[in-house]
Amino acid sequence: MNNLFKINRDEWFRLIQALSVSSYNIYAPVRKNGGIDYTIINDENKDEIVYNEAKPATPLKMFFLPVKLNVTEPEKVLRKTIIIGAPACDVEGLKLLDLIYIDEKFSDETYLSRRENTIIISTDCYVTQEHCHCTTYGINPYPENGCDISLSTEKDDHYLMTWSEKGDLFIKELGSSAQIEALENNKIESISARREKTINELSYKNSNLPGTEKTKEKINKSGQEIWKKYSSKCVSCGACSAICPTCSCFLLIDKPGFQKIKQQDTCQYPAFERVAGGEDPLKELSKRFKNRYMCKYVWKPERFNAIACTGCGRCIEACIAKISKNELIMELA
Amino acid sequence: MASDNIYKVLKATVEEVIDESPLIKTFVLTPESPFKFSTGEFIELTLNGFGEAPFTPSSSPLISDKLEITIMKTGYVTEKFHMLKPGEVLGIRGPFGRGYPVEKFYGKEVLILGGGCGLAPIRSLLYALEAVRDNLKRVVLCYGSKSPADCIYKPLFNRLNKIEKFETYRTVDKYEPGWDESVGVVTTLLDRVNMDIENSVAIVCGPPIMMKFGTIRLLEMGYKDAQIYLSMEKNMSCGAGKCGHCMMGEFFVCKDGPVFTYEEVKHTPDLWK
Repeated sequence: MNNLFKINRDEWFRLIQALSVSSYNIYAPVRKNGGIDYTIINDENKDEIVYNEAKPATPLKMFFLPVKLNVTEPEKVLRKTIIIGAPACDVEGLKLLDLIYIDEKFSDETYLSRRENTIIISTDCYVTQEHCHCTTYGINPYPENGCDISLSTEKDDHYLMTWSEKGDLFIKELGSSAQIEALENNKIESISARREKTINELSYKNSNLPGTEKTKEKINKSGQEIWKKYSSKCVSCGACSAICPTCSCFLLIDKPGFQKIKQQDTCQYPAFERVAGGEDPLKELSKRFKNRYMCKYVWKPERFNAIACTGCGRCIEACIAKISKNELIMELA
Repeated sequence: MASDNIYKVLKATVEEVIDESPLIKTFVLTPESPFKFSTGEFIELTLNGFGEAPFTPSSSPLISDKLEITIMKTGYVTEKFHMLKPGEVLGIRGPFGRGYPVEKFYGKEVLILGGGCGLAPIRSLLYALEAVRDNLKRVVLCYGSKSPADCIYKPLFNRLNKIEKFETYRTVDKYEPGWDESVGVVTTLLDRVNMDIENSVAIVCGPPIMMKFGTIRLLEMGYKDAQIYLSMEKNMSCGAGKCGHCMMGEFFVCKDGPVFTYEEVKHTPDLWK
């Protein structure tokens, strides 16, 4: 782990093509619909991959927790997956999902199998978006751990750093068919400088936004008024949850043959907590609205000792009622 | 666990359907392979292709070739369960959660407060306590139901009253001719039980309103927060702390509960909702 390698651009392209033909489904962000998002990569679009830019429209979780999945039988894995371009915020979010979905007593088979059969190549963000605020919550805008490999581009070179055993094995596998240079040192000055610049940019932009501890404290102490105010425009569409890299609640739907279909769900929908007989602690919209913030900033961090809001800002971008989580938090603070 | 896949069911055949009250039935099930659980743990019961709901078995945890589930008709899925006939096949997932820590009750008096269909998990607990009664000082069951007709497990009370160290009290909210036991809410029975509170635990299981006032009364009597065991009712769906439907503050009721001490959950907002 933490071994640094260098591969030049042409060789990297050649590798991607070879891997996509031989044994992997490769996904990476390309420009589409006015932003960037993952698409399956082949020989034709391999040079359209966008590197080091925040952030794919789709959160990383969707590769492991698709909107709908039959979970009755194990999934057949025909080809392994490589995901290139996952930002550090999404990788941080995946750490929480791992804690929820993989545990000693009860693991989610399909989640586990998808995780095992996927190689995550995370990239630095040299370019950020309007609502990016990862640094506010202590996450750096570049991969540090949680991924298998990190990728930083610098002119015609791609620098690959390994972060897991799976990552090391993968580089070894690549090494037999491509020219990959193992580097002695594990720091490239020009990349460090860019990272510093991105951190400064994000910190400056979000200087009024409180960090995790203060946010938790303020939310914990809040009354109902602020939630009523901000939720008055909410239509319970659930977009904030669907797009959130850590929201992972689901519904089990029964089909004949004792089949179970796991479908994305959210506490923002009415009746999420309703029990037989009709009792529903989250009947009021403002309570559902607050519930999501409690979950992100109070309960999940307490329960899992993990970050549950990664500061990706997607929920702000996705809200059709233009409710800004950050405005709410700043008003609380 | 029936399978490594937490979403895969173990099939079970309905052997017998027992009418307990106008709204409550007990289903005696034979699982296709032995099904072990600890008292207070729960299962997810699937109606093929229709739906699934969480129930705590009402049968003895010492028996694994039969399983009894007591169901109150209260909503969409439970109404369909009530239409089941012997021979039909259901699916079981589990057991899930944390049940009653019976060994912690050793050497103590156990006060049990049950209301309505909340007697279902308690019956299973009573079987478990009966098996270890040499280690217990005393077991007192206080049970309340709306009316004499709503009173379930009628033969259970006669049987328990004959067992050394066990005593039972029943009350109904609404008197009907022929009823010769107490009338009033279940907490009124607590005036009669005379527990050695210092050396006792209290267990509460019933509808939310009864759990709330039961707990308040027990605290007034001098029970400490950590001596009171509550069985929380939430919308447990996956059973394994993943789907999020039963989150109660930082807890997943399906995984950390459904049995909690009051001490553990008292800080939870809207605890009794």
